[in-house]
Amino acid sequence: MLHIENSEYYTIKFTINGKELEKTVPSHMRLLDLLREELLLTGSKEVCGEGECGACTILLDEKIVNSCLILAVEVSGSEIITIEGVSKDDSLTKLQEEFLQKHSVQCGYCIPGMIFSGDHTLQNNTSPSRQDIRDDLSGNMCRCTGYKKIIDAIESTSKSEHSS
Amino acid sequence: MKYFRPSTVNELEKLLSDKLILNSKQFLSGGTDILPRWENGVSPPKHLIDLKKVERLSGISKEGNNISIGTLTTIQQLKDNPNISKHFPSIIQATSSFAGVQIRHRATIGGNICNASPAGDLIPCLYVHNAKVELLSPRGVRIIPVDEFFIGPGKTTLQKDEFLTKIILPISNIKSMFYKLGLRQSMAISVVNFALSYDLNPDNTLKSLNIACGAVAPTVVYLKYLVNAIINGESVESVIDLIYKDISPIDDIRASAEYRRKALKNLIAYTINNLKNSDNPLINHDKDSHV
Repeated sequence: MLHIENSEYYTIKFTINGKELEKTVPSHMRLLDLLREELLLTGSKEVCGEGECGACTILLDEKIVNSCLILAVEVSGSEIITIEGVSKDDSLTKLQEEFLQKHSVQCGYCIPGMIFSGDHTLQNNTSPSRQDIRDDLSGNMCRCTGYKKIIDAIESTSKSEHSS
Repeated sequence: MKYFRPSTVNELEKLLSDKLILNSKQFLSGGTDILPRWENGVSPPKHLIDLKKVERLSGISKEGNNISIGTLTTIQQLKDNPNISKHFPSIIQATSSFAGVQIRHRATIGGNICNASPAGDLIPCLYVHNAKVELLSPRGVRIIPVDEFFIGPGKTTLQKDEFLTKIILPISNIKSMFYKLGLRQSMAISVVNFALSYDLNPDNTLKSLNIACGAVAPTVVYLKYLVNAIINGESVESVIDLIYKDISPIDDIRASAEYRRKALKNLIAYTINNLKNSDNPLINHDKDSHV
């Protein structure tokens, strides 16, 4: 968390997981801290705090980004989806189901970010190769799984989406 | 810290004409380098000017014989742009190894340039394509060749009240390539990098050649001595040591100066010798060796 003296306060309006929200935040507050500390959406994790690991990945205006590299004041007028808002009606997405089926999760800390990067691949590439999937995961670190089962899950989701 | 988000160039210029703001301001575009710096103890500015919503500073367009890239254009937008991939392959190659998707969605070409890192991956590509940068201030516009923009690590000729508005790339038929040597394949800062533009004669000899390299001097530099000798018909092996006349690498956490010298020499010699076989000999070499 950034600690800055003489912070100014700003009121921002944004949409988060489908809900419109208004919040007054200090100018130095990072989006990640707004999510975790103020909104108690703790699915987005902090690991490196400098954009290397991808554990804080969220969807901002339909693009995956690191929420640790963005100030809360910057998202006024934007639409945010966190991992809490990915599934509809309490049922998991196909990709999330596939992560369970393929045993892609060990400690789980990186998984919210992995789901977002996997979704990015699925939405931008109708037949991704394993290398394409790996390339899109280059901003996400996992220290448990060795990535193989994560890639398996994204690959099999893509195959099932495009065979049906 | 006061936060400003101007939505027009006029509003921005108004902020910059306030002396109090001008003397203690920092521009914010993607923020992917600025926020980690604050996290690591660098003091944030008193006034933060977020450029992201300023109209007409983003996007890629064709203007006559040039491609114009707005300063706020993200790395991902560059990577996905058909005009860039058609005319400037080195830029596409640099964007493909540029951080990860999340950062490419935020980081901007203007931020990458104004950071003035000697290891910035886009900069050598802009050098070999003879890019110019347009700088605007309440005092007017100036347009300068990209290599005159940099003075040293983190230092540019940008005046206090100036900001980068666009990058202008002349369209030509020259081919180009980019290569980066990092300590790992993704999310790596270059140990050395270089871009090369060239044109071949029908007999596969070099008609034109331009090389710029990064992380081997206080700014990105052209390899002028080597290029002149090669264009004059000298063999690569006989003149490759001329690269040392243009570079002055240092030891740092990523590599020693000696390693950088040797690596760059070997990479450049291999590349020039294999240009007739492949548009980017090193990328194909890497792919083969990883299979």
